[in-house]
Amino acid sequence: MRLAVCALAAAALLAGAAQAATTRITVYAAASLTDVLPKLAPHDRYSFGGSNALAAQIEAGAPADVFASANTKLPAQLHAKGLCSKPVVFARNELVVVVPSRNPAHVTSLRSLARPGVKIVVAAAGVPAGDYTAKVLARTGLEAAIERNVVSRETDVREVLAKVALGEADAGFVYATDARTVAGKVKVVRIPARAQPVVAYGACIVSSSKHGAAASAFIRSLLAPRGQATLLRAGFLRP
Amino acid sequence: MRWYAVCLAAVVVALAFLLLPVVAIFVHTSPSHLVDQLSNPVVRDAFVVSVKTSVLAQLLILIVGTPAAYLIATHRFPGRALVITLVELPLVLPPAVAGIALLAAFGRYGLIGTSIGFTQTAVTVAVAYVASPLYVRQAVAAFEATDPNLAAAARTLGAGPGRTFFRVVLPLARGGLAAGLALSFARGLGEFGATIMFAGSLQKVTQTLPLAIYAEFDQNFDATLAMSGVLIVISIVLLVGLRIGLGWQRSNSTQSSSLFGLSASS
Repeated sequence: MRLAVCALAAAALLAGAAQAATTRITVYAAASLTDVLPKLAPHDRYSFGGSNALAAQIEAGAPADVFASANTKLPAQLHAKGLCSKPVVFARNELVVVVPSRNPAHVTSLRSLARPGVKIVVAAAGVPAGDYTAKVLARTGLEAAIERNVVSRETDVREVLAKVALGEADAGFVYATDARTVAGKVKVVRIPARAQPVVAYGACIVSSSKHGAAASAFIRSLLAPRGQATLLRAGFLRP
Repeated sequence: MRWYAVCLAAVVVALAFLLLPVVAIFVHTSPSHLVDQLSNPVVRDAFVVSVKTSVLAQLLILIVGTPAAYLIATHRFPGRALVITLVELPLVLPPAVAGIALLAAFGRYGLIGTSIGFTQTAVTVAVAYVASPLYVRQAVAAFEATDPNLAAAARTLGAGPGRTFFRVVLPLARGGLAAGLALSFARGLGEFGATIMFAGSLQKVTQTLPLAIYAEFDQNFDATLAMSGVLIVISIVLLVGLRIGLGWQRSNSTQSSSLFGLSASS
């Protein structure tokens, strides 16, 4: 009896190990990809977070196979240091302002964010969403007034979304795709095209990866028709 | 003899394992680099926010926690064990759960809706919430360890309850209370999860040292090392203070029992 249990456990372990060795890779991906990537490749392992934090972890030797960043700067920097392959752009996005569905501060435009007392949450500098937000603010001409209203700088874009969806903050800067994941809880205020930054997602194969072929296949699948269709359905734009 | 060698090796391994990461913080970059980082505005602001909110939170904990602990320690009432367990609850809550709980209670649309979110008050509340059980628990133990006969003697000699508390009970328990405060201060200073969820993170306002370490670690690693160094030094000071406080109480109680010929109650 005991022998049978042992054999079964060993078999399960072996099967698991075999599966891990052939197919399962570890993807370090931008927080804004949290919902869409597991739909595309449900069997892989994911670590979602601020792309900047993930890049720092990869630099420190984290066991990632693929890095999917919410900008092209961070993977390009890793590439320049020989830590990952040349990044490819697999999607684009748009920045939007989200407000709680009750919209307590009556935010209807970028201009209304400059009114004193509006509690605005943004992503921190260095976090891609934070850097895009800074670009938008610089183009509005209301930078100083809006900056004064910032009450928190979050470590990734989903933290910004959470604080707005909860109603704790009056407004926040997130990606259009983030807003769709909590549709009933937030309203979207669009940012005019002239203030809109170029939001491009870059993916690369981490040089220390032991599953280079699988990592490369993962990135190809992002660009393949099925991958692109999944990304489009989630609201991302073509690369 | 062989067992002794094995145990000794275990001690060496354990010490090396526990101390190596701490030492690594100080040797990762040159000491002058670390000292330079102390004048970095992010580091300075985070230090000020941390100290300010911690001191305020500990004052609150002292003022409310001391009489509460005294009452719990000196009275037997139905549900006493339950009260002690409930007081300790935040201690075992994961910090993220504490953050969610504080939002659900004191958030804008919380049970008791407030607008303290994103303010220093919110940081203070988060610190007090997670740290207070450490003080109250230790304070209950310290008050229970004081000899009730001494308080009774003071009463029979004509001292009122207030005078008895401040002149007899408090001096007897102060070592244990200081130890509780040191523990509570250390826990509060390290508070991260509840703060980032409930108070957010903004330099000069709500960004405490742990929050700044997290925010800076991919931007300026030297700054995070410097802030970690500061927290380690504070922790060592608190730990030493804790040892002294507890040692003091022990010698105090031996002294009192020998003076009055009474056995110290546990």
